[in-house]
Amino acid sequence: MLSVEHVRKSFGNLTAVRDISFKIERGATFGLLGPNGAGKTTTMRMILGILTPDAGSMTWDGARIDGKMRRRFGYLPEERGLYGKMKVREQIAYFGRLHGLVEPEVSKRADYWIEHLRLGDYASRPTGELSKGNQQKVQVACSAVHEPELLVLDEPFSGLDPVNADMLLGTLKDLRSRGTTLVLSSHQMWQLEDLCTEFTIISNGENRASGTLAQLRAECPTRVLRVEPASGAVRGVLDRVPGARAMGNENGAVDYEVAVATPLPEILRELVAADAITRFESIEPSLHDIYIRATGA
Amino acid sequence: MNAFITVLSAEIMRRIRSRPFLLGVALGIFAIALMIKAPALLGGALTHASDAIVLGGPPALTSRGAELLKKDFEIEATTTKTDAPTMQYLDSHNKAGALVVLGAANRRLTVTVYARNLSFVNRKTLKTDLMPLNLAMSTSASVAAIDSSMNIPIVVQGVDTKFTSEQASDAAQAIAYTLLFFLYISILINSQLVMTSVAEEKTSRIAELLIASVNPTSLLAGKIAAAAVLAVIQMASWLVVGYFLSGGTSAPAHGSDVQSASAGFGAITANISQLDIFAFIAYFVLGFLQLSTLFAAFASMINRTEDLGSVQMPLVMPVVAALFIAIYALGFPNSPLVVATSFIPIISPFTMFARIAVSVVPLWQIAVSLLINIAAVYFIAIAAGKIYRVGMMLYGRPPKLSQMWATLRG
Repeated sequence: MLSVEHVRKSFGNLTAVRDISFKIERGATFGLLGPNGAGKTTTMRMILGILTPDAGSMTWDGARIDGKMRRRFGYLPEERGLYGKMKVREQIAYFGRLHGLVEPEVSKRADYWIEHLRLGDYASRPTGELSKGNQQKVQVACSAVHEPELLVLDEPFSGLDPVNADMLLGTLKDLRSRGTTLVLSSHQMWQLEDLCTEFTIISNGENRASGTLAQLRAECPTRVLRVEPASGAVRGVLDRVPGARAMGNENGAVDYEVAVATPLPEILRELVAADAITRFESIEPSLHDIYIRATGA
Repeated sequence: MNAFITVLSAEIMRRIRSRPFLLGVALGIFAIALMIKAPALLGGALTHASDAIVLGGPPALTSRGAELLKKDFEIEATTTKTDAPTMQYLDSHNKAGALVVLGAANRRLTVTVYARNLSFVNRKTLKTDLMPLNLAMSTSASVAAIDSSMNIPIVVQGVDTKFTSEQASDAAQAIAYTLLFFLYISILINSQLVMTSVAEEKTSRIAELLIASVNPTSLLAGKIAAAAVLAVIQMASWLVVGYFLSGGTSAPAHGSDVQSASAGFGAITANISQLDIFAFIAYFVLGFLQLSTLFAAFASMINRTEDLGSVQMPLVMPVVAALFIAIYALGFPNSPLVVATSFIPIISPFTMFARIAVSVVPLWQIAVSLLINIAAVYFIAIAAGKIYRVGMMLYGRPPKLSQMWATLRG
């Protein structure tokens, strides 16, 4: 289990991380969410030992994370970079060796990733000659070639076209199935919602919400009520619900934000009495909704 | 595999095939070959243009004059011709540089030189060589007797010097001069290679991935060790080529300046001591470690490779100063400035080596200098390691001095 407890990090007068804590079970896929400047990258860099926290602690399976342990971790940074003149196979193998792999294992793993990511045609070419998408595949291979226990991915989907994004999603699911614990940050909520089992939302260097999607939804104080048709009678009923707030129309339906505790059967009865209701749906908040609410964006 | 070894071997393999390294080796070999072979190739032309003469005038004078001049000039012919020659005339006498016409007036010797090139006229040599003839004409004493009486045997013996003869001292100075330049070029070029490598990794953004994979200290140490290995390979290739091209000759044949330069490589084996070899290796390693570590730390602070020039300027300046002091040290190895700077890190690898090569340096001074440099390597490595670790992750505005100071203290 990765445990991050009350970590803090400042750069001069700027405090990037004030107080962030979370726990991630082994094998879990964890989404670290937050707006730009929230402290996601700094937190990830601290987990990987690139930065040293000013305060707080981080442990992996109960032991303090040290250099030796970090060689069993992997990292895909937001800013991608590779040795342009180094050949693809050499590059992947080099990062494997940096993480402690030796021959013949390192060559075997490099070949596996080349095949898995369909880089066979480029294996003997300098990485700098590859397209951006293929370079990103090489970067993924470099970060995962040693089959890390923990793989940290900072904005892994940024800049990827849909095909490569799907490829990466498949690769991450594959790693997860083999037991790798994944920590991801992304602005593409739909991808994280699909992939991650747990989330922490941070803003201004502090925790704002944590848990599984179900837990986050349960903590959310409102729901969206979608009713069709969008008639005056329907609006009249919904406007009388205490605390309800009109959110707009969607394909002939009206959306109202109502408190979780709102008695829906009662409202439904009133609506049916007022008009011919063709749709009545209580929509669970999406990760995006939860994120917007938690960060106050 | 150990991360340091991985970085070291990868860096060596990457750099040894790189264009700058291969170009450096090739250019160095070419320069050395040129230095050694050019004087020999041009030698004939130079000799004919400057040393070869035709001696003109009455046979009584030219025969006696030829005897006196032959130690400094090649006498292509003697002739009774006394008027200005044509260029074809000089060419026909093995491209002689001049017609030197001897005459007599008022019991004194007169000399007229018709030179192919006015810069040929070395009045002092001609005057010195022909002085016995001039005196013989005015005193009626024999030329041989005068020439003999003008040759005063002079014995030069050094005080507090490691050399037993002038020739050995001159050879040692030439060797020290050559090795000093090797030291300077090799330390500077290879430290700059480390700097470029660090800057490339930072600007290409691969640094973050590397530092997440391997301890920054191992990364930096691997890089510097690889550069040191390559520097040794480079220098060894230059020295081996230099040695074989010079044919292992040990001393200048004719005593001329151009030839002494070409004899330098061969003379190394004959005149260099074990202490010189030890000092060269030790001060190369220490100087290289100090500079390359500093260069790497400074390189980690930049955001664009274009900024490399501005960061390396403050580092190159003391090295250039060290070279000048070391050149001065070859002539004045015990001057207070030279002795003082032979204990100052970064400068002392050059100045102390120069002192050791040309003089007898007390062993305690060598020991203290080495200890100071070893300590300097240690402290520079700690400071540079801290700057490197922070610098590699620092993008945007360059850090202020106060931030750097805080980093060093942290």
